[in-house]
Amino acid sequence: MLISLNWLKRGLGQITVSDDELIKLIGARLVEVEGVLDQSTKYDNIFCVQVKSCEKIPDTHLTLCKIDDGQKAPDVVRDADGLVQVMCGAPNVRVGMFAVWIAPGAIVPSTFADAEPFVIGMRKMLKRYDSYGMMAGADELDLGDDHSGIVELNPANLKPGDSFADLFLSLNDKILDIENKSLTHRPDTFGMLGFRREVAGILGQAFHSPDWYLNAQPHFTNDANVKLSIEADAELCPRYTAIIFSVSSAPATTYLNEQATLLARSGMRPIDPIVDATNYAMLNYGQPLHAFDYDKFVAVGKTDEPKIIVRAAREGEKLTLLDGKEITMSPDDIVITSNDIPVALAGAMGGANTAIDSSTKRIILESASFSLYHLRKTQMAHGIFSEAITRFTKGQPVGQTLPVALRFAELTKDYLQPIALFDTQSAPASAPTVTLELAQINRLLGSDFSIDDVKQLLENVEFSVAVSEQQLTVAVPFWRTDIAIPEDIIEEVGRLSGYDNLTPVLPLHATASPNPAMVLKSDLRQLLASFGANEALTYSFVHGDLLKKVGQDTQNSYRIVNSISPDLQFIRQSIAPSLLAKCYSNLRTGYHKFALFEMNQCYRRSDGCDEDGVPLNRHQLALVYVDDTSDSNFYTAKHYLVQLLQRLGIQAEFAPFVGAEDASNSYYEAKRSANIMANGRVLGYLGEVKTSVLRQFKLPAGVAIFELALDELLALDRQAQRSFRLSQYPFVSRDLTVTVPAAANYGDFAAKLKAVLQDAGLIFRLSPTSIYQGEDATTKHLSFHLEFAHPDKTLTKAEIQDIMKQAESINN
Amino acid sequence: MSKSAELKQKLKDLNLEYAKIKDLPPAERADFGKKINQQKQDLMRQIAAAEDAELDTTVAALDITAPFAVNGTPPSLLGAEQGSRHPLMVELDRVTSIYQNMGFDIVESKQLDDEFHMFDSLNFAKGHPARDGYDSFRTEEGFIPPAHTSTMQHRVLKQFKPKLAEGKTIAVVVPGRVYRNEDVDATHEHTFYQCEGVYVSEDCTMGNMLAILREFFESYYGQKLNIKTQPGYFPFTEPSLEFLIEKPKSLGGKGDGWLEMLGCGMIHPNVLKMAGIDPHKYQGFAWGGGIDRLVMLRYGLNDVRYFESAKLDFLKELAC
Repeated sequence: MLISLNWLKRGLGQITVSDDELIKLIGARLVEVEGVLDQSTKYDNIFCVQVKSCEKIPDTHLTLCKIDDGQKAPDVVRDADGLVQVMCGAPNVRVGMFAVWIAPGAIVPSTFADAEPFVIGMRKMLKRYDSYGMMAGADELDLGDDHSGIVELNPANLKPGDSFADLFLSLNDKILDIENKSLTHRPDTFGMLGFRREVAGILGQAFHSPDWYLNAQPHFTNDANVKLSIEADAELCPRYTAIIFSVSSAPATTYLNEQATLLARSGMRPIDPIVDATNYAMLNYGQPLHAFDYDKFVAVGKTDEPKIIVRAAREGEKLTLLDGKEITMSPDDIVITSNDIPVALAGAMGGANTAIDSSTKRIILESASFSLYHLRKTQMAHGIFSEAITRFTKGQPVGQTLPVALRFAELTKDYLQPIALFDTQSAPASAPTVTLELAQINRLLGSDFSIDDVKQLLENVEFSVAVSEQQLTVAVPFWRTDIAIPEDIIEEVGRLSGYDNLTPVLPLHATASPNPAMVLKSDLRQLLASFGANEALTYSFVHGDLLKKVGQDTQNSYRIVNSISPDLQFIRQSIAPSLLAKCYSNLRTGYHKFALFEMNQCYRRSDGCDEDGVPLNRHQLALVYVDDTSDSNFYTAKHYLVQLLQRLGIQAEFAPFVGAEDASNSYYEAKRSANIMANGRVLGYLGEVKTSVLRQFKLPAGVAIFELALDELLALDRQAQRSFRLSQYPFVSRDLTVTVPAAANYGDFAAKLKAVLQDAGLIFRLSPTSIYQGEDATTKHLSFHLEFAHPDKTLTKAEIQDIMKQAESINN
Repeated sequence: MSKSAELKQKLKDLNLEYAKIKDLPPAERADFGKKINQQKQDLMRQIAAAEDAELDTTVAALDITAPFAVNGTPPSLLGAEQGSRHPLMVELDRVTSIYQNMGFDIVESKQLDDEFHMFDSLNFAKGHPARDGYDSFRTEEGFIPPAHTSTMQHRVLKQFKPKLAEGKTIAVVVPGRVYRNEDVDATHEHTFYQCEGVYVSEDCTMGNMLAILREFFESYYGQKLNIKTQPGYFPFTEPSLEFLIEKPKSLGGKGDGWLEMLGCGMIHPNVLKMAGIDPHKYQGFAWGGGIDRLVMLRYGLNDVRYFESAKLDFLKELAC
């Protein structure tokens, strides 16, 4: 929404702060000001001039004019009478008229915001006429689209040489670009009247709405010959006010007027007098209006008893709009009908069948309030984002339909004659009240307001406040549809006085304990990064193809119905596939060896929901190890995993891989994968990815991954698994090589070896140094480096030999 | 013979069949050709699938209990100089640890939630246009990948409510991943991170809220900061505000610019009521703000798309 600062200031009392200060206050106490378009130099060096002579140039459309600029413009050549010569191509130029002249050196206003604004100068026309500056049309002045002629000014109170910028509330203005979103609940601020009321409140001024707004009374009686009845569904359309006018004379105002410039400054374009007047009323008072051709309306309804019926559209019902587009409606739309035949899409756009035109003799002016919920759907369904529907979707107050309709009648009385008024609501509803204690206000804000402070703040913006001791009873004016509970009033007090004037005070409260899951994740990322792995984040949403590539069932993924693209259609079941999808591009970039990991949530439909009926999640860690120089990376990934778990105090074991029933882990190559076990529970999986899967990701064979269920990790009593034992007696170093069958399992032997050392009551370190198997051999050799000591004594040679003998004979 | 070899033989036979086309009357040739082509396509698909399956069946088993391969060398880690933590996660850890030191419990947000938690429990009227502002995704079942961490407010209020009965305060922050249906460009992501704060006691005030938020940002940026607010609108807070800080020196601030950091306000009584907390006895405040922006400001990053790219160039460059 665009707000002209000059328009805003009119109607406010004395303002003692600078414009910048005022804009800051608006930003701090009413609404976010997204930007300020400073137009304070836009109309510099543009003058009101009188045309003194006109000479048609034969065989052209041009007129050579002499103009009187009051001798204000510098740097121009003047004739003996002090007049300036300028060529004009407009058909409406004539002697005696007051026009707008852009003097040499001035910027053409329509290019003011351009990167390189166009500066007018002296031009040689038709090779022989000097032409200084430019006679301006509405389009060049950025005040409309009209290019049919030059702008004509009302000569009253005007003399040649007056600055054009000083006209119409000063055209040298500042335009505030308002972020609408924070006013979603404030329909009243979508008109200058309401916006100005708030600014008055912010400035500590008492605002008084005009009498016509507060006490609307028609000053005409209904012409008994004009018939209309209104039947509106109260839920869809809480109020429908209609005034019928006869178009009494052609509204032929040829002079540029203030209304047109205010429309332009608010981002709208002048179109025709009736439409402009509806738009102006909307911008000024926040109430959108629409004009139908009454006679067309009656004809559409094919009855002598014309009737407006406001109802939900029927499924598939069609209507051709003013812009010529035919739309198909649904029951979510509200439709205005003439005796049940659609004539307008409520709140959005009128129908072509009742459009006003130059032959229109009578109009119906609609001033109504519609269900914002429906109009929101209309807005989305038909993609209409007009100034009007923007206001309707805030929920326009029912109390203003009549006053604004009558105000429109007042503003257009020169050319429209009101002849009948119809309204679905006859008596205004009484004002609701909110009662609260002063203490409630200070308690919530942490402030120290007196009851008089509060009363003043609220009365400034036209709440009626009755005070009884420390209690306030606040009557809510009809335009404040957002006020219902004490907190709403407290917001008004805090906001109008400025939240920034509150004193920040730190409260005292107890300490908190760390969240174990967050601590675990923090530890894991520290450790893995120190191991040389890189933490990544990837989307929670994946393509159905990705699920298929890794053998997951798309049925087991939650599917997004309004996804941006097929790439983001399913919620992932596990994290490793997302990482696999990111490896190829990294290989291409020149990384040959890397470990990517991610910790995040994933979801499977088969996991079901919690007690609230919300899907259960899994917290996972996944790591992918890629090395394109090696065709097997199982043991490197395992090394990462074992190092990681050891530092967390977890002694994991590796059991044969078991595929999940729901196929969620079917990308593991079962023969080269393992279940990660601790305390008999599956912590996750480790293994190489199936070659067939890797091929689909363009990845080399042997890429290895592991996935850990963080919930399982958390559930482990990690501290209990740690055992630190030191000895003050010397450690003995020995190497051990044993021969075992080729098919024998390393882990079995290592476990037995540990048992020997443990049974001897030793403190030990056991490091495997090689696993050797000759070509075609049926046995393999396992070599270890052993270091051990006894906690209580120095081991004797005999004891050492005995231990080594036991170790060597494990397999016998 | 392997299955793929069998299928390849069939393909050869089919090609021979195709050669017979010239013996057919011209009128039948087109249909015949089409039929053979269809069969060929089917066979080639089957061959690809069979080859894939065979790839997997020919692999050798390995000893999962061993520390390294037979005749292999013990594996090594890539080393700390290669590694990195994700800047968003590092920042989220920083943010939550500051709050934790300030006495806030930490609860992680969900990544899939329902209409009730996302909107109803937060005082959004049914069908209210304010719901549109969140551009939320939806699943077939009507679940919502949450568009704000406020989706957790109702849960944490219920979870920590017993503290109030003990005369204590509810003070919780909720970090989490959130989603909005937006097209992605340098400054927009459909996936991003937020951190929510919820505070309830018998007598906490808006002045307390402003102090906590200022304390947080001063601690986060390691300097004294000026703060300001502007009115906002959220159905779940009343009053509602936007909270701004003076641009910190570490981000090149010279005491003139302001940064919009988060939305905040006093918790709407309906939100407390719905969580079973008596709004006449207790009051609270809540806030929520984005984490991605903090990271972008800190690292001078100008394209949000890097965060979810898993590009090593990016991850290593910003190594944390």
